[in-house]
Amino acid sequence: MNDPVQRRTVLLASVGALLLAAVLLLAVILPAEYGWDPLGSGDKFGLLGMTGQEPSPLNLHSEPWRTDRIEFQLAPFEAVEYKYRLKAGTTVLYHWAANVEVLYDMHAEPDGAAPGYAESFSKARADRASGSYTAPFDGIHGWYWHNRSRQDVTLTLETSGFYAEALEMRDGREFRYEIEAQPRNADQP
Amino acid sequence: MLLWPVRCFVALCIALLSSVVIGHDLSADNSAFVQGLSGPAIGPFLYLGAKHMFTGYDHLLFLLGVIFFLYRPRDILLYVTLFTLGHSLTLMLGVWAHWQVNEHLVDAIIGLSIVYKAFENMGGFQTVLKINPDPRIAVLVFGLCHGLGLATKLQASINSGDGLITNLLSFNVGVELGQLLALCLMLLVLLQWRRQPRFRSQAFVLNAVVMCAGFVLAGNQFAGYLFS
Repeated sequence: MNDPVQRRTVLLASVGALLLAAVLLLAVILPAEYGWDPLGSGDKFGLLGMTGQEPSPLNLHSEPWRTDRIEFQLAPFEAVEYKYRLKAGTTVLYHWAANVEVLYDMHAEPDGAAPGYAESFSKARADRASGSYTAPFDGIHGWYWHNRSRQDVTLTLETSGFYAEALEMRDGREFRYEIEAQPRNADQP
Repeated sequence: MLLWPVRCFVALCIALLSSVVIGHDLSADNSAFVQGLSGPAIGPFLYLGAKHMFTGYDHLLFLLGVIFFLYRPRDILLYVTLFTLGHSLTLMLGVWAHWQVNEHLVDAIIGLSIVYKAFENMGGFQTVLKINPDPRIAVLVFGLCHGLGLATKLQASINSGDGLITNLLSFNVGVELGQLLALCLMLLVLLQWRRQPRFRSQAFVLNAVVMCAGFVLAGNQFAGYLFS
């Protein structure tokens, strides 16, 4: 079926293929894939450390750790926004509950983004929610709650995390809270 | 005239490199999705099987080697059927009976199957070793190895229990669909290429390159076995 190819050619080609493969493996692939760098070429081309960096289950934070508890009173059809200033990668554990179902939108605004730009993560009607949130970028991160009922709503938010500042937006006004190491009650600035 | 075999050659090199870089697992996203499934899920597993075959450069390179010098449709049918029989058998048995085979070693053998086929296509057995092994047996045996590779990949992401057989069959059918699609594309290119006057010498070079790719894949997997 094949042309009669000379024994020598086949041998040379096969050995050549093996050698080329060996060079590729030793010089480039093994350093990049496994960090094994017998020729020192991986170091030279900056290929070391490309793999094997799985995210650790533990994340250390240098930002201060705080807990926060805040209660909001919402008259019928009143809304409030409450957000923490977080660095990318820091986490907040939260729980909130209200006596009546509210409309909420958990979202974040990146630093330097156009005014009014926000990324929304969860939008629904509920009377409670809890979870953990890790900030994907530097910015302010939190909730918008809207009382769509005809009753007065009392909503309590409890969080802990790595933040030092919170912002409350209500009736077109903005309040800024320094969050101290001690938990406190606050609805007013 | 030379231009497009050269293009094929370049494409192959890129494919080879990316296969090493991307690796050959069910991608992490899909894997997480599939693990979240319980019960029969024909669609996702069909898709995964097809995707695995179509993006699995080791399977594709072997398949290319197998059909490279097959000119008659019934030969193509025979060899592809043998390959399919082989890999379906070990895929089904392996997953069903929970065979625990080292993924790296199986993939290394798959890499060597590419080397073997390329060597055969270069006429190595007749000229260098002066033997004439039956290529049909080789394709069947290597088919079994490829199936084992598929089985180890699938086991990592399939929930045993409810719907196992359905999902397994779906994955297998998906593999065959992906293979059929890949086969059509390869034949399309091959049929054109064979008409070129310099096909024979270019074919020899291409098989040497494929052999090199097989060595790289095998070496990478051996290293994976040693280092992990």
